[in-house]
Amino acid sequence: MAISGGDACHRRLAAATVIVTLTWTTGCSERTSAPPVSLMPPIADVPVGPVPGGVREDRSVLGNPVAGDPDALRDGRAFFVAYNCSGCHGDHGGGGMGPSLRDASWIYGGSAAEIANSVVQGRAHGMPAWGTRLTPEQVWQIVAYLGSMRTPREPDPPAGG
Amino acid sequence: MFRWLILVSLCTPAVALVLMGCSTTEPASRYVHEGEVAGLASGVHLISDLPHGDWHLPAGDAANTRFSPLSQIDTTNVAALKVTNTMSTGVNRGHEGQPLVVGDTMYVITPFPNYLHAIDLTDPAAPRRWTYDPQADPRAVGIACCDIVNRGASYADGKIVFATLDAHTIAVDAETGQEVWRTRVGDIAIGETITMAPLIVKDRVIVGNSGGELGVRGFVVGLDLDSGEEMWRAYHTGPDAEVLIGPAFAPFYDTHREANLGVSTWPTDKWKTGGGTAWGWVSYDPQLDLIYYGTGNPSPWNPDQHAGDNKWTVTIFARDPDDGQARWAYQILPHDQWDYDEIMENVLVDMEWRGRRRKLLIHPGRTGFVFVLDRETGELLSAQPYQPVNWASGYDLASGLPRKNPDKLTRQGAVVRNICPSSTGAKEFNPSALSPRTGLIYIPAHNTCMDYEGVEANYIAGTPYLGASVRMYQGTGHHGELVAWDPVGERKVWSIKDNRFPLYSGVLVTAGDVVFFGTLDGWFKAVDARSGQQLWQFKTGSGIVGNPMTFLGPDGRQYVAIYSGIGGWMGAVAYPSISSDDPYAALGVVGAMKDIKRYASPSSMLYIFGL
Repeated sequence: MAISGGDACHRRLAAATVIVTLTWTTGCSERTSAPPVSLMPPIADVPVGPVPGGVREDRSVLGNPVAGDPDALRDGRAFFVAYNCSGCHGDHGGGGMGPSLRDASWIYGGSAAEIANSVVQGRAHGMPAWGTRLTPEQVWQIVAYLGSMRTPREPDPPAGG
Repeated sequence: MFRWLILVSLCTPAVALVLMGCSTTEPASRYVHEGEVAGLASGVHLISDLPHGDWHLPAGDAANTRFSPLSQIDTTNVAALKVTNTMSTGVNRGHEGQPLVVGDTMYVITPFPNYLHAIDLTDPAAPRRWTYDPQADPRAVGIACCDIVNRGASYADGKIVFATLDAHTIAVDAETGQEVWRTRVGDIAIGETITMAPLIVKDRVIVGNSGGELGVRGFVVGLDLDSGEEMWRAYHTGPDAEVLIGPAFAPFYDTHREANLGVSTWPTDKWKTGGGTAWGWVSYDPQLDLIYYGTGNPSPWNPDQHAGDNKWTVTIFARDPDDGQARWAYQILPHDQWDYDEIMENVLVDMEWRGRRRKLLIHPGRTGFVFVLDRETGELLSAQPYQPVNWASGYDLASGLPRKNPDKLTRQGAVVRNICPSSTGAKEFNPSALSPRTGLIYIPAHNTCMDYEGVEANYIAGTPYLGASVRMYQGTGHHGELVAWDPVGERKVWSIKDNRFPLYSGVLVTAGDVVFFGTLDGWFKAVDARSGQQLWQFKTGSGIVGNPMTFLGPDGRQYVAIYSGIGGWMGAVAYPSISSDDPYAALGVVGAMKDIKRYASPSSMLYIFGL
């Protein structure tokens, strides 16, 4: 498990998340590719339902600013555990109380922006509104981790299946 | 007293006012006493009335035997059993409970959104007289650990009483379908749900909370049957005053006697999020006037976060139903580190035990042992394994303590492999049945093992407080097993093995000496209660996680009913919303269950069988 092993960055991350009101500070020293917090683009408000007449500007296609960053994937995995996403959606996202995040099915849209919206706003059948707890960067990191599932880039993939 | 209430409950509200008139106009009692059951085994004595035609309580009787004195269907003719009716309940999730029958009406409570259907048994089309929709809060869906199940209702005094996933308990007029009262028992904002079937005892409704995977504080409440008012609340952690441990408390073991153990056996304040929920079955002894039930795991699953004995989690309680005061408690497993909830059924029966008649409580445990206790005192009389067990080598009857295997103790940051049974236990919630004619208890068991790693859990109210990474798999040999167990002889008499899946349905046994149960791949089976020989089977449309029950129809003929709707913790792996490539998903059961996707799909069927 990434959160309990290895490098100092993740040990610090694990300790920090014990305080559930935590806010992400400057992160880990080896982090270079992701923009600093202050430059992190806000999460766009994407409509969940159809828009009468269609949308003028499709914000659902806006990308994840930390997509592909290996540090973001690892941190996203650590947050996925620390914020108890794993308790509902399965230790490695395979589902349980909440639906699988490993498969291709997305109830509220599967683009990075749409997933980020679901995380921030919550959804009706029990998904909490995590925008009250997570910074935009943490949300993007988690979304990046979800996007890596079933790819060679997935950190700490499920073993023994 | 209990029998009197049953009698009252059979009367319509109008005639109930005139008790004598009512009891004489009732054609034949729909409940019978021990003396009216033929062929009782030597030394076996039933302690509560049995349903004879009707089925008013989750287990049929208060003692939780799930034995029916009906015998029209027996070992000689059960092979001719055929479907007489089917109905979809409309909710394709795990159907863990059982219907009730009151007169010519069948009552079905569905998984969330917890519709209550009243079905007219006099019409071959089985139309609904009415359906009551409690409008339960959909946010509850996301905090239910193990599917959005409901384990059934109870009937008395003209009311159907059941709980909703959003932690309310509701009484509905059995005639009209109108809500009589509704009481909020728990709070979904902190992760409390209710999945259990309330038990009506005299003028009390006994019901407890679920949420042991979300760090809730377990409790049971006693509601007033007339008004729904909460008359008492007993927590399972914390100070004695809140556990309702008072002057009447007389546990058998010294280790249970010190004051405020619900606080002192925990790290500072951890009892406040310590679990010990009550989501299984409640039994009642009308002679001793005591209720019995078990409590769930300490939260979180990471044992390093709850050092100590963690009283009163994984404990059997005996309480006074009137005021909730504890009479005794026996903690089956101090400091659980494997998620061995012991909320399983407690079957109450008097049996000849080592030369004298004793009041027994038989508890086939998730830990893999059949526990036999003296239900007057809480003394442990027997604890023998009925499935492969390696977390403990056995129990010391003098102290009531398990001899834990040091190699299987779990901890944070280390993977402990091949622990048996897995967290789902040697059996789950699905209840056993006991026949007074054979003296055997029929236990629906399974054999799974697990790798378990404690992980630091962060308490965030209303979200999982789990603290473990777990992967389960089939144990050596069989996967499921129906075990016919002799509680006095402390041995397995016969068994039926299922090499494909765990046995996850309840069991019914009848005076026709037929045992009914279902399998996760959908077979509903009848076997001989004495030999285990299979007599009949029928393939239902989905997996069976419900409990068989039997009743007399308006035509005077015996019928057997069962739900077929896969789900529950292990069964939910059949759902498309759970992926088979993460064996740690669904709290670790995917590893043991991924083949279920080929054998069962979500469904919501009620099947009724007759000759």
